[in-house]
Formats: sequence, structure tokens, C-alpha cells
Amino acid sequence: MKKACCTLLCAVSLAATSSSVLAAEVTIESSTMLGISRLDVPGAAKENLLPTTEFLGLTANNLADGNLSLHFYGWGRADLADNSYNNDKTAGSLTYGYLQYRFNQANANARAGRLFVREGIVNEQIDGISARADLPMGFGLSAFGGATVHTSHISGENSDGKGDSLYGGRASYRYKGLLELGVSGVYESDAPTLVTRTAGDYRRVGGDVWLTPTHKIDVIGHSSYNTETDKFAEHSYLLNFKPTEQLVLTGEFNQLRDQSYLYSWTMFSGAALNPNHKSSSVGVKASYTVNNNLELAADFKHYKREFDSANRFGGDVRVNYKDNSVRGGIGYHYLDAGADFALSGNPSASYHEVRCYAMHDSKSYFAAIDLLGDFFKDKIYNENSAWEASASLGYHITPAVALSGDVSYGRNPRFTEEAKALLRLTYNYTTVGGKK
Amino acid sequence: MKSFKLLLPILSIAGLIGIAVSCAQLKTIPGLPASHPESLAVGQQVNCAECHEDQQKGTMKAFSAFSHSQAFVKNHRFYATSDDRLCATCHKSSFCADCHTNKIEMKPSTRYGDRPDREMPHRGNFMTLHKIEGKLDPASCYRCHGRANNERCVACHK
Repeated sequence: MKKACCTLLCAVSLAATSSSVLAAEVTIESSTMLGISRLDVPGAAKENLLPTTEFLGLTANNLADGNLSLHFYGWGRADLADNSYNNDKTAGSLTYGYLQYRFNQANANARAGRLFVREGIVNEQIDGISARADLPMGFGLSAFGGATVHTSHISGENSDGKGDSLYGGRASYRYKGLLELGVSGVYESDAPTLVTRTAGDYRRVGGDVWLTPTHKIDVIGHSSYNTETDKFAEHSYLLNFKPTEQLVLTGEFNQLRDQSYLYSWTMFSGAALNPNHKSSSVGVKASYTVNNNLELAADFKHYKREFDSANRFGGDVRVNYKDNSVRGGIGYHYLDAGADFALSGNPSASYHEVRCYAMHDSKSYFAAIDLLGDFFKDKIYNENSAWEASASLGYHITPAVALSGDVSYGRNPRFTEEAKALLRLTYNYTTVGGKK
Repeated sequence: MKSFKLLLPILSIAGLIGIAVSCAQLKTIPGLPASHPESLAVGQQVNCAECHEDQQKGTMKAFSAFSHSQAFVKNHRFYATSDDRLCATCHKSSFCADCHTNKIEMKPSTRYGDRPDREMPHRGNFMTLHKIEGKLDPASCYRCHGRANNERCVACHK
């Protein structure tokens, strides 16, 4: 896999540099990062870490008859000093790599390769194909199928607990701009048998809705049903109310049946959870845009599980000036949660969180600072708080090339002190147009 | 379960027939453009209603619903699952994959240390906090780590 990733990265890099040969609109995005940190964990040898990571993306549009495009994104890492993670000096992953044919009408497209599918209750990554189209009279249809993209093996097992193939799709109907209804499903082949955990087959059907009775109100959400447990897995709904153009009020309701929703989460043997246990949350948020430079938000959320309940509330302020070149924000939240949510031995899990940041972009340089503090009601591992301060400074060498560096320092219950630095060289070039 | 296994192929076949029948009429159905005609400023909290008063021809939903208020950003999952084709007119897939991916190399907040405005998750010392947040709302973990991106999880959850 690593060899394949490296080969693919090299091949795409070469292809990218010869964009004129491809005669296409080509976008290249590259980030080369050198992380610098020192681990000093009590009882263990000190480690110097110098991981170098390359993130590389390529999009080539207007291929063939103009409707074909190639999309590629992946990363590779090499450790220049001690191993930054597990026993491997190198690692890599192909995040996606697919060909897409996009039709000019009906939002129709077909894709083949490694790709993400987000349709109704479906949110998957496959090595396979997908297609979608709007149909006459407001109907729409999409379908996908292929091989499951496997992840790391669960500890003590020879698999990640997932089946080897995955397919599904979504059918939808919309009525003018008022209503959209969708029915979707996902079916994975049988999950492997595990030694120490309970594996559950991943099979769900569900429905989604988008209702806009007036321009001021939207109701969006979905429910999913686990066909293995024969019970609902999730209800998740959002109400948006915009009494004025500046004010957005949202209400959110989420409820899941633990076993049915987490059924295929092998790491925690989701299939073995109590079938009657439910988790739910209800939240409200108000977001007010005072003017183009200032936005205020306040939120409250109530969490309920079988064993306890908790509340979180707080607010955020966002500002921007000078055509968005100066941006900043400050936020405060408090989680009020009891002992059942706490780390073992603690009487509560409550904590305050404060965050503020500021940043500035210009044609020549860019800079950012970011401060985050968590203040625990009861000490965690004998620490009252965790905080981190980060600063970043960068310079645009050319409009397409930028060099930047980050430094951060913090104290937290996990590491008494944590200092990190990162050097970043980015290259973003688009021959014509382009997306962020 | 058997009924589900039976139903899915039938629905798929019906869908293919529907597509075949409808193909002749597809040219009359409007679609979204491949990309937004004007590039938007990086970091801009896009307000679609500044320029658009109508509904999108491609999805028939009001443009104003997609303005990037704080509420929208917080709840973007609701919009992405039915309208990622609209997201794609401005954002490449890599924009989503910065967080939502199968195997991630570094925390998004570390990778984008120069972009604190993107509100990347797991900022600061989340390793400690996840022991609280995971109990509070297991779905919030599962959505990203349940069926993907579990490499760091398996290191400790044995």
C-alpha cells in the first residue's frame, strides 16, 4: 500500500508538472510540512521528532470532451529522526483519486475510483463507482457500489471489522422550493468474525427531509433504521428560523439508540451494547450578524444519556476588518457535567473553555495567534487546567508559493509541558478559475 | 433482513429503468454550474444572499439557506448530505477531506495552524477532553472515527 501510494504520488506529481501536455485546467495544491517536537514523558526515553509530510492534490478539468475531470488527493510521511508514530518510518494514504464525468444538465455525474459518497444517511468512502442524476418531475436518483476502504486493524484482530464490499443509493423527490424528501440505504457485505469483540453488519435504511414552508424557516434532518437490529438508529433534525436577514435561530434534536447506531463500531463492540439504551441531545443557537464586520452567537445544548445528563452553554464573537484581511474571534463555553461523565475518580466533568484568535493576511505576509484554555472544575491528573498558545507567521514568496512557520507551547494533564514547531511550504496553482 | 436484501436490488433495477426512461428528458432539467463564476475571498463568511435573491435552479432551495453563518458552519453536515453538489461549486473535495477522511496524518488544527478561523476540531489538548466528550456524545466520535480514521484510536483502545 505504501509503495503504491508513493508511486501514485510521484506519478501524479510528474503529471502535474506537465500540465501543458494534458491541455487541461489544472489545479495543484501541495503542502510540505516539517514538524519539530521533543517528547519528554516521565519514565521514558526522550525522543526528537522530525516528521516530514507531503499533502498533494491535483484536479484536472476539461479533459476529453471537456466534461471529464481527474481528482486526486493524498499524503505521504517520512520520519527524519525518531519515529513519530508506531514502528514505521514512512506512511502514506490515498485520500481520494477518481475520474468524474459531469453532464451539463440535471446535476448528473458518474465517478470511478476512490471516492467519498454523501447521500442522505450515507457517508462512506469506497473504491468503486457512483452515479447520480436529477430526473423529471422533481425526482432524483443516485447509486454507488464498490470495495470497502479498510482502516487499521483493531487491536488483537486481523481486520478492522468491516465487510469487503459496500453499496447503496438514494432516491429523492422535491416539490418546487418547498420540500425535498429522500430515501437512502447502505448495505455492506458480512462483517468478519472477530476474536475479542462483537462485530455487527453495517446495513441501514433511512429517510431525509428538507422543508421550507417560507423563506424564513427550514427544517432539515434524517432518520435511519438499522435492519440488523430492527430498530431506529438515529433521528437528527435541525430547525432554522430567520426572523430577519441578520438573525438565525436554530434548534437541533438528536436521538440515537446506542446499539443500533453504533452497531458496526467494532472497536467498542457496538453490537453488544444494551439495545434499549438511548442518547439524545437538544440544542439551540442564535447567530446575529450585526454588520459585515461583526457576528455574535450564543448557544445552549442539553445532553442526556441513560446514566446522567449534562448542559453546555456559551457564546462566540467573530470580527473582520479591511476586506476580511483582519479576522478575529473570542469564545467562551461551560460544560456542566456530573461524575458519570468524568474521568474515573473525579466528582465532575465540568470545565470552562475560553478561546481567542486573531489573524492578518496581506499580499506579502500572513500571521495568526491562537489561545485556548480549559479550566477544570475538578483537577484532572492533578492539573487545574490545560492551555495552549500558538503563533504562526508566513510569507508569500510568490502568489502561488508561501512559506510559514508555527510554534505552540502549552501545559496540560497529559504532558506537563508541550512545545511544538512546524515549517510549512505551500504551493497552490490553478491554470484557470479554481476552488478553495 | 431477507426482505431488505430482496428490496435493494429491486429498487436498483427500478431506478435504472427510471433513468433510462428519463434520459431523453434530462437535457431539459437545469443543473448547477461546475464552479462559482467568481472566486470568493479565502476565509470569507460567504453570504449568498448578497448577490442571489432567488432559488438555485439546480436544487430549488433558497440561496440564503447556504450563507455561511456560524450556525451554518456548526451544522454543515445537514446541508452536505443532500447538497454536496452545491458545496462542490466552491469547495474541492480536499476541503472536506481535511477533516473527514479515512486516514488522517495530523490533527487538522495542527495542519492549519495558520488558519485558526477555520474552527478545526480537536484543538489544543483534546486527548484529555475526549474522555469526557466521548461519554457525553458518542455519536460525535462515531461520525468521523466509527468507520474510518481509526488509526490513532486503536493505539490506546485495545
